[in-house]
Amino acid sequence: MGQHNIMVKICVGTACFVQGGADLLLYEDFLDPSLLRICTIEGTSCLHCCKTDDQQLRAPFVEINGVVHANVTPKRLIELLREAQHA
Amino acid sequence: MNEIFIDVDYNQTYKAGQKISGDVFLQSRDPVSQQIVCTLSDGLGSGVKANVLANLTANMAHKLSFSPMHLTKSAKIIMNTLPVCNERKISYSTFTIADIRPNLDKTVTVQLIEYDNPRVLHFSHSAVIDIVAQEIELHREGAFKHEIIRQSTFSMAQGGRLIMFTDGVTQSGMGRSLPLGWRQAGVVEFITNILQKDPHISSRELAELITRKASTLDGLAAKDDITCAVIYVRKPRKTLIVTGPPFTKERDAQLGERMRNFDGKKIVSGGTTAQIVARLFQTKVKVDLSCWSPQVPPASKMAGIDLVTEGMLTLGKVATALENKTSIYAMPDDAVRRFVMLLLDSDHVSFIVGTKINEAHQDPSIPVEIGIRRTIVGRVRQALEQNYLKETVLEYI
Repeated sequence: MGQHNIMVKICVGTACFVQGGADLLLYEDFLDPSLLRICTIEGTSCLHCCKTDDQQLRAPFVEINGVVHANVTPKRLIELLREAQHA
Repeated sequence: MNEIFIDVDYNQTYKAGQKISGDVFLQSRDPVSQQIVCTLSDGLGSGVKANVLANLTANMAHKLSFSPMHLTKSAKIIMNTLPVCNERKISYSTFTIADIRPNLDKTVTVQLIEYDNPRVLHFSHSAVIDIVAQEIELHREGAFKHEIIRQSTFSMAQGGRLIMFTDGVTQSGMGRSLPLGWRQAGVVEFITNILQKDPHISSRELAELITRKASTLDGLAAKDDITCAVIYVRKPRKTLIVTGPPFTKERDAQLGERMRNFDGKKIVSGGTTAQIVARLFQTKVKVDLSCWSPQVPPASKMAGIDLVTEGMLTLGKVATALENKTSIYAMPDDAVRRFVMLLLDSDHVSFIVGTKINEAHQDPSIPVEIGIRRTIVGRVRQALEQNYLKETVLEYI
């Protein structure tokens, strides 16, 4: 059985916004309406994940149901939400 | 900071079909004496030729008003210097100069010089006050008409306004809804009504309402350049901008105390700063996804704070908008626009700048616009002081 309320927090801190976060805020343009219906999407101030030396963990960051994901592109966001939906 | 503030702003609508105005308004403030000089000139005709005439006149009048030279001598120099119109074979341009100097007793002394523009209006709150002027005839050699200059000196207290405009305002609607145009009496009635309804209206808004009304009377296709400038003596409107976390955590409480005691509007610029302020004020930050543009991250909401924005990117765009004097009507409804609107409606702007470095901003892949906070704040201050005659103070924490 799929999940019916996915909590999504898109980081709108400076580092995230300038490195792809602005594209994620256009979620209504690229997310399937069926997926949009089951998501509660909001912006959040800095998640403090950008202050790391780990080169793998790069902005923008998105928190989905309490788990923070790095390097999120619109395509990756769709994949992550599909995974969350079927989790 | 002074206990009075002189709010100067103007609005302009070009004659229909023109891409440049034949009316020119100049303003400047002496940073030491706080003397303000405003000059309005209407050049003969319209378009580029009128603009050149008006610009020459306004600039000469402006510069000469700072010199010790006698007024009649200055006026003669201006008129002798203006080029002769190829069509009308005369050299002509109008001007109004207001020289405003603050006094120690919360009043200002105004010296007004008027040449052929519609009479300047003096309001105390919503009541119009007669300006008693001395008329001086120039007797200039080669003059094609009687050249009479009106000179007056008077004082204004808090709540006083000077409103100057070109004939594009008084003659608007002529031949359409009004046989002789809006006329001075119509303008006075219009302004009185506005001031009765909104006694604290800013100079920017009042000037805009007047030019918009004149343009409407002309059927939204102005018959002449329409310009109105307002000078308003008022209690300063204060705004506090807090940006950047304090250098040490111990200073957070000091920041909270300063914010609590501040009597005016408050802007918090910066995600981490907003989180600190929210903790100090025991409230929450809520990102407002209805207010953003691809260039600027969304604004947020916080109880007790008038505007919460992202930091460096937003401040950088605010600095650019103020430097370029970008119209708020040309901006998308994002955090920068709201920020600029609050600043334009303020007279005194205080900055409290946190000096802690944000490690995330040191990443070389971050765009160069994310500069150094102190530099960006310096640009905002300079633009506020030079382009908008605002008073600013800065403090690092």
